[in-house]
Amino acid sequence: MNYTVGPVTYFKIFFHAARHPHLQVNGVLLGKSTSGTVEIVDAVPLLHHWTSLSPMMEIGLDLAGKHAEELGLSLVGYYQACESLDTALVPVGEKVASKIKEGFGDAVALVIDGDKIGSPDHAALIPYVAQTPSSSWRPFDAGTVKPFTAGSSFSLTSPTFRLLHRKFGDFDDHLEDVTIDWLRNRAALPEDLQPSLVA
Amino acid sequence: MSLSSALETLANYRAHNTRASQDIVDKGKPLLNNAASKLGDDAWSFLEQLALAAIEIGDLDVADECLRQLGEKFPESPRVDILSGIRIEATERPEIALKFYDDLLEADSSNAAAYKRRISVLKRIGKIEQAVTELSEYLDTFYSDVEAWVELAELHSSCNQYTFALQALSHALLLAPQNPFYVLEFAETAYTANDIPLAIKMFMLAIDIADRHDSEESIPTGASVRAWYGVKLCCRSLSEKPSSPSASDTPFPKNLNLLDELATERVLTAYSAAGKEGAAGRELVLSWMGPSDRSGSRVHFVR
Repeated sequence: MNYTVGPVTYFKIFFHAARHPHLQVNGVLLGKSTSGTVEIVDAVPLLHHWTSLSPMMEIGLDLAGKHAEELGLSLVGYYQACESLDTALVPVGEKVASKIKEGFGDAVALVIDGDKIGSPDHAALIPYVAQTPSSSWRPFDAGTVKPFTAGSSFSLTSPTFRLLHRKFGDFDDHLEDVTIDWLRNRAALPEDLQPSLVA
Repeated sequence: MSLSSALETLANYRAHNTRASQDIVDKGKPLLNNAASKLGDDAWSFLEQLALAAIEIGDLDVADECLRQLGEKFPESPRVDILSGIRIEATERPEIALKFYDDLLEADSSNAAAYKRRISVLKRIGKIEQAVTELSEYLDTFYSDVEAWVELAELHSSCNQYTFALQALSHALLLAPQNPFYVLEFAETAYTANDIPLAIKMFMLAIDIADRHDSEESIPTGASVRAWYGVKLCCRSLSEKPSSPSASDTPFPKNLNLLDELATERVLTAYSAAGKEGAAGRELVLSWMGPSDRSGSRVHFVR
């Protein structure tokens, strides 16, 4: 199975982390599966307040799932960034990723590698996979080929980076101000990426 | 941007404890040289603010210059000592920072900030158990530190120890009974610990406190939107599993259906009141709240 991470997804994950550098943040990945490739085309940011607590996570997951359905997409994974340089998938992340895997067999979890953020030739994302929804999640291991390098089953489709993260909002922000468009985050995306949101 | 408006923004950030490090450094850097002559008495709190922001975004030269000016003015200040400690944390090994704070505590065992920095370092390097032990010791002495109780709760939650988290939060509630966010955190922790009757009771309490100061009670905002969402979730969970256990022996709410309807109405009102910008979200939320919808199932954080 191959995975491609689209520019909108990549932007959103890193905006979310940059918006709250001193907090853990998480969210879900939206995409579709076509002939051996999972195309991850969008992300929906969920929490930055109480990432160890479940109620708003449950509601956010439900709403993001419905939103994905409306776009003709599925929840295909989970992402997380830590407040430290730690790159382990936290226990709560495993639970949410497993939950997504129950609905989408090839689900993946991406953890931001804080140490590599800003290095131009590194995607700074660590993919985690699990055999079954009930087995434990481990960093994807494909022998010598590292994820997001040439020949790997994980690839990016054209990431560029511009500083718009201050306009970015997640479900926690939305709960404080329901006009914040956490599902789409159009205001935070560069203009040339806007059309791709219309799936 | 003019000097006066930059100063005003910076003072405003200080007053509200706003963590806008990039902006603080952008605005503060031009004022750094000989800050005392430009800012007068405000210079010292400004330099502290700028040092912290500069350390956070990794502009260490700026931080060091702040520390130099502060150290010259206040050579023996415990407050400057803590700032120096944070500067050490930025580039030195954690053991060196821990030793630095140890020495400060040796000299003065009532240095609360040194305690808290130690605990923060322990947390960062993953020594959660030791952080919990030291934070508990700290709270034996500094019982009235509400934020420390909340921190203890969050450390417990991060290790799936939700019952201990509830105990810590109950101290925070005793100390600050009027803060709706602590009540919300308690409610969400109770839900995660699978005590749904307790969660619903606390969500209702959070709404009560949050709306108390509102003259306009008809539109839920801020904390109460989140709490009404929580009530809705609890109602759904209880109607699916009416024999839900409660470790705290909290009674099952009466009139569950009415409460459910009220929660639906309150959340939707928040969207309707937001006009055009709320409309898109409202459709989706409406489809989630509809009685026929059973797509949602629980994510159990505790087995």
